[in-house]
Order: sequence, then C-alpha cells, then structure tokens
Amino acid sequence: MMLARSVTCCLVAALAGLALMPETVSAQKRGGTLVMLVQPEPPTLASYISTSGPIGQVATKVYEGLLEYDFSLKPLPGLAESWTVSPDGKTITFRLQKGVKFSDGKPFTSGDVKFSVLEVLKKLHPRGAITFRDVTDIDTPDEHTAVFRLAKPAPYLMMALSGYESPMLPKHLLEGSDVKTNKLGNSPVGTGPYTFVEWQRGQYMRFDRNPSYWKKPAPYLMMALSGYESPMLPKHLLEGSDVKTNKLGNSPVGTGPYTFVEWQRGQYMRFDRNPSYWKKGRPYLDRIVARFVADSATRTAAIEKGEAHVGGFGAIPYSDVKALAKLPHIETTTRGYEMQSPIVQLDFNTQRPPFDNQKVRQAISYAINRKFVIDNIWFSFGKPATGPISSNFAVAGLYTPDVQSYNVPNGIQIANTLLDEAGLRRGANGTRVEIVHDITPYGEEWQRYGEYVQQVLAELGIKATLRHEDVPTWLRRIYTDYDFQLTNNWIQTLADPVIGVHRLYHSKSIRPGVVFVNGSRWSSPRTDELMDLATVEPNPGKRAGFYKELQQLLVQAAPLVWVHELHFVTVHNKQFKDLIVSPLGLYAPFDRVYLDK
Amino acid sequence: MIDVARRFLRSRSAMLGLSILSVVIVVAAAAPVVFPGSPFRRVDQPLLPPFGAYLFGTDVLGRDVAAGIAHGARTSLMIGVLATAVAVAVGTVVGGVAGFYGGRPDDVLMRMTEFFQTIPTFLFAILLVAILTPSTKSIVIAIAVVSWPAVARLVRGEFLAMRGREFVVACVCLGMSDRRVIFRHILPNCLSPIVVTGSLIVATAILVESALSFLGLGDPNTMSWGFMIGAGRTFLRTAWWLCTVPGVAILLTVVAINLLGEGLNDTLNPRLRNR
Repeated sequence: MMLARSVTCCLVAALAGLALMPETVSAQKRGGTLVMLVQPEPPTLASYISTSGPIGQVATKVYEGLLEYDFSLKPLPGLAESWTVSPDGKTITFRLQKGVKFSDGKPFTSGDVKFSVLEVLKKLHPRGAITFRDVTDIDTPDEHTAVFRLAKPAPYLMMALSGYESPMLPKHLLEGSDVKTNKLGNSPVGTGPYTFVEWQRGQYMRFDRNPSYWKKPAPYLMMALSGYESPMLPKHLLEGSDVKTNKLGNSPVGTGPYTFVEWQRGQYMRFDRNPSYWKKGRPYLDRIVARFVADSATRTAAIEKGEAHVGGFGAIPYSDVKALAKLPHIETTTRGYEMQSPIVQLDFNTQRPPFDNQKVRQAISYAINRKFVIDNIWFSFGKPATGPISSNFAVAGLYTPDVQSYNVPNGIQIANTLLDEAGLRRGANGTRVEIVHDITPYGEEWQRYGEYVQQVLAELGIKATLRHEDVPTWLRRIYTDYDFQLTNNWIQTLADPVIGVHRLYHSKSIRPGVVFVNGSRWSSPRTDELMDLATVEPNPGKRAGFYKELQQLLVQAAPLVWVHELHFVTVHNKQFKDLIVSPLGLYAPFDRVYLDK
Repeated sequence: MIDVARRFLRSRSAMLGLSILSVVIVVAAAAPVVFPGSPFRRVDQPLLPPFGAYLFGTDVLGRDVAAGIAHGARTSLMIGVLATAVAVAVGTVVGGVAGFYGGRPDDVLMRMTEFFQTIPTFLFAILLVAILTPSTKSIVIAIAVVSWPAVARLVRGEFLAMRGREFVVACVCLGMSDRRVIFRHILPNCLSPIVVTGSLIVATAILVESALSFLGLGDPNTMSWGFMIGAGRTFLRTAWWLCTVPGVAILLTVVAINLLGEGLNDTLNPRLRNR
C-alpha cells in the first residue's frame, strides 16, 4: 500500500518534471512587464507587521526569506544557501548566500537575520510570536552565518543522549524475548539515517540510505522562513526608529529581484528590475505593476483584453474564471496556494446553547451538503473537507482521512435523529430552537452560503435569522465579545498546522481581542497535549501520529463544521512563463518569470 | 371631489400608472397564497431557465425567482409606504411648525433641515443602515431620515403662504386655537402637494431600498428585488434572467408610481388644470 503510493508519487513527480522540461530548457528571455491584479489594495507594504493577504503578493517581490520551498513543502535554499540542525534539534545554523545586497546597495549579513527575527518578526509579526516562540537567541559568528538557539536544553543530559551512549531501540522487536540473544544484535533496526542491509562476514557490512529518515530540520520553523512569512529587513534603515511608523512601510527596501519605485494610491504600485540582484541574470522581467481595480467585472475585462496579466486570490470572480479559461491566451491554475490551504467553516459558540451540546454540533455537520455548497456557491472550486487539517498536508504526512465522516448522503435524517437525542424536540410549529446565524462580511458568496445554511437549518427545525455586519463589528462579536451562536468563516491553515491550525483549537488560543484564533472556545486537555507534543516532535512519523489522533478527536467533538477546502484560482496570460513555481504562488519573488511573446 | 376623481380617471398616464401599480399590489397580496413558505427555500436544480417548470426560472441556489419577485413586491411596497409615512409625518410637523410660527422656531428648524440636506442622501442612508445593522426597521428609518427634509421645506413654504391668506387671518382674529387653524384650515389646503411629493418619495424609497439590498445592506432575512439583482449580478453573462426580471419589476413599479404621482399633481393642482 505504502509502496504503491510512493511509486505513484514518483511517477507523478516524474511526469510533472517532463511536463516542465520544455519550458525549463527553452531559453528564458529577458524583458517585459507583468501586470498583476491585486485585490484589494494592500493597506501597507510592511509585510513584517501585517499579514493581510494582498501585501504578500507585492512585498514578496522585494523581500526574501532564508528559505524557499518546493511543492511538497520541502525547504530549499533561499537567502540561506545551506543549513544544519544540531543533533539536539535546538540549534540551527544557517550559512547565508554571499554577495547579497539590499536594493539600496548595502550588503545583507547575519546581523540583518538576527535583527529581522528577534527584533521585528518575533515582536511585531502577527504570527511571529508563535513561529519564533522557541528562538531564544541568534548568534552571528560571522557575516554569513546565523545560528538559531531554540529553547534552552539541559547540557548534562544532552551529553548522554547520543546514539553511542544511549541508543533508542525498537521495543516491538525486543519485548518478550531474551535481549542478549535477540537477532537484533546482528541485524540492527534503529531510527538512524542508514538502514542495515547485509553483513558478509569477513568482507563487509552494507548500509543503505534510510529513505524515510526523520531528520527534516525543525518541524515547523523551517516552514515559516519564506519572504512572505518572514521577510529579511534592512537593519540599517530600521534600527533606532519606531518600526511601526518607519517610512520603510510604504517604500520597502529589500534584497529581492525587484525594487520599489512608486505607489499611486488607489491606482497602482510599480516595481522595477533590481539590477544588482544576487541571483545572476535574474530577474527576467523589467517591471512589475500591481494594479488596483475595485470593480470585479473590470478586472475580468482587463485580463481578457490583455491589459493585465495575472490575478489570483479571488481577484477574478469564480463565475468568470470558467469563461476566461476557454480563451486561447489565458491559463488558470489552482496551484500555488499549498501554503495557504484555506478551509471554509461554520464556527459554533461551544459555550452557549444550543451548540454547547456535541450532538447538536454533529447534527449540523451532518446536515450540510458539501457538494452542493462547492458546486453552487463556489463554482466547483473546492474539495469536501474532512477535518481541521487540509488534505494539502498529505504530502507532509500530517493529514488523515481516517476520521468520523459527516459527508454522508442521508445527513439530514441523521441530523434530525441527533437533535431528537439531544433533547431539542420540535414544537407545535415544527421549530426546535431559534438561533442567529452570522455571516462573515468578506463578499457575496458568504451571504449566499449563509442563505443556504439557513435553509438547511430550517429543514432540521432550527429557525435561523441571518445577521450581516461590517468587518470590525463582526470580528469584535466573534473574537472579543463571543456574542454569537453560529457564524460562517474561513481560515488559512498555512504552511504547517502549528502556524495555521493550532490557533483555532488550543485552550491558550482563547484570547479575547485576538482575531482568527479560537473563537469557538472549545478545547480539551488531550487535544491541547497533542498539539503541544506535535509542536516539538521532530520525528515525522510520531508527529503524524499525534496529528492523526488530534484530527480524530476534533472531528468527533465538532467545534466547527469543516465544509470544504477552498481552492483559489490564479488566472494568467500564457505569454508569461514560470509564474507559479512554488507553493507560495503569487507570494513568490517572481525572479523566474519571463515574457515569451 | 367627484370632479377631481373624474379628471383623474380621464388622465391616461395616471390610469396607466394606477393599473400597473394595482397589478404589483395584487401580486404582493397574493404572494403567501401563490408561493407559500419562505422565498429563500430551495425548490429545484439551480439556474433553470425561465418559462420552463418555473415562470421565471430558478437562481443559483435553486430558489424560485417568481416567488422572490412576489415576496420582493411585498418588501418593496411595505418599505416604500412605511418609510414615506414616517418621512411625511416628520416633514409635515417640522415644516408646519416652522412655517406657521416663523421667527426663531423657523430659523432653528430650517437650519436643522438644511443640515440634513447637505449630506448626500444615499451615502447617509448607507451610513445609517451600517450603523443600525441591516434590518427592515433600520432601512425604513434610514430612508425616512433622508427623505423628510424635502417634505419639511415644501410644507413650510405652503404654510408660510397660507399663513398670510385672508381666511387664515380671519380664523386667528376669531380667536381659534393654533391647533384648530393648522389642522382644520391650513393643512387640508396643503394636502395636494404633500400627496404628490409623498407618492414620489414612495418611488425613491423603493429605489433606495433596492440599492441598499444590492450592496448587501438589505435585511438578509427578507427577499427583495435589490437583493435579487445583487445576488444575480455575478451571473449576468450566464443567467440573464436573475437580474433582468427583478430589474424590470423595479422599473415598472417606480414608473407606475411616478405616473400616478404626476397624474395626481395634474388633477389636484388647480393651476395646472387646463394644461
């Protein structure tokens, strides 16, 4: 089974490689201007202070991170040309690329790394406090080395935990037998980087590489070092000033392939090629212009007419995507969002009737027809969700479909039974209970989704009144006052569950006033424990085990309804090649993009 | 009175308006009978074209568009009439007091009216609905708040003119109470312009309600024409009927009310009698 799957993976990868070949081989041409449609206009370019979606699409062309990632979420060299993780996992040494300059000509050094992470990201980035929680210090022995120190180890103990001093043995092979004579003594099975193959006595022993070796550096930190999540900033421009009000926020200076030129508010931002970019010969484009067009029909027309060349994250309404996809010069893709992995949900207030009752929550989860929602509200751009972790994490082994399934054909019937069992009987007029259903104010599909849920609830005998408010009022209601019963919502589960998922379920994430955290206020000691364990567990297998149990417990408790994994679509002009080359998609630096007329 | 009725019946445009409006009123009244249950209810496959199993087809969630039109007519008419009633009542009181008493009360009330008039009507309505959270009540309040100043200014003008007329002066000399003068003698004589303005406010109110719902600021629990257009706008290329049908409904209703208002103006205003 496992073998079959990995073979398929290899095949897919090989085919994908083949498919990419011609483009990679054909010479990239220099020149050209790419026009991106960015919707809405970002409030600022300080990607180190705000994570509002559109900022990442533009700021990442200027700022870079220590690492980049491939589609299977594997870290690749970025500003760090290489890295090593100490055996205890508490020290990570990054070797930085040499000759890297910020776009103002100053060299990029380890001092910038230390400053970016400790002084800015850890303190000011909305997720930085969590991402770099365990980074206590960063040493900079020379200009091109940055050593991350993670939460303090006990040194004496650390000296006694080596594989030489205290090897970890397979209990399942040793238990119940005489350890002294067990054949393990001649054919060792351990967790190390190589597996034992054969021992030709008197001649040789052979060890082959362990293909499933666990040591992938730092389970989640490595997933957070992209230019989008953790941009490297110029210390010389920020130091000694108030980072929040520094003018860098509106005129960024980074090390990226493009330099910031101007921002005509309400109209466009312009970025020109960085002539001294450290990757020789790149970028290929002369210029990137980010245009802000408020009307969705105009955006569609701009792409259609070739006045703009790329738009993603909902800039092109789903209803127009299919028509555009049929045009010969347009290409659409749902790739490039693997580090976002948004899930469409219904959030319960689990501290308030009737949704303080698990059976009632499960009933609602059963009643939602996920296929109908995806097909009719999101134009088929989605995939039924099974639980809190997106199936995009399957490549990292963290996702399991092996949970209680609510996506069943007779959902309404089961739901009615569960509601009866929960003691919510139908009254004389067929109504069990009346509730208010809040609608997240992020666009019209959410309103339609609310109307759909209202009708489903009506079938269950739950009379729901819809409430539609503006963004700040809704955020305050859900995340500060907890004055709601049921709201629709969507959450990006990001590059790793520690960054994107834990915040929704951990008891420590019940923090009034902090948005997009645990507004449902459901938690349990065991699920908290599992998340804490998974945060620090370096062994992918064990980590996957924790997440499997977590997913099973959460899905059963149903603090939310996970309706579907939302697929964003990027629509772009075919003349531009190599636009979407990593899971960061539009958040990538675009140094490889080229124009081929 | 009979004379007025006869003149009204002879006005072709007024009769056209009246007949269209009657149809709308009948549809609105019959909605719960012909289309029982919630108009938000899913009845069939999404996006069925019109003139098939359903007169006006179904929308993106499989809701009957015809049911939406019928129930939307109720919303539009109800909000139009209610908002107008409030606006006319407030406007008449303010304008009447200002016009009758003049002097300081007039100054104070008219400065206040002007203050309201300086704010762009529709933006003010959006602001009010956003603050009060969208519901039928808040929409009625918002439309009334932006509509009363026009009535107030009109009524003030009428009252000012009436105030100096001989029959009013005679009443005052006879020692009649202010209330009696206002309600028995002045107001009845100002009624025709108020009725005409009121009918036009109904039309404006329907348009404002539709525009608010179109922008997603309508009562999310009430079916309305503006909401239907807003929800169908994304499908303009693929399902034309979603916007067209409610759009035509709004157009006809507003035109009908305007024709009616004009007809009333023609018949009630003696100076225009022989136009």
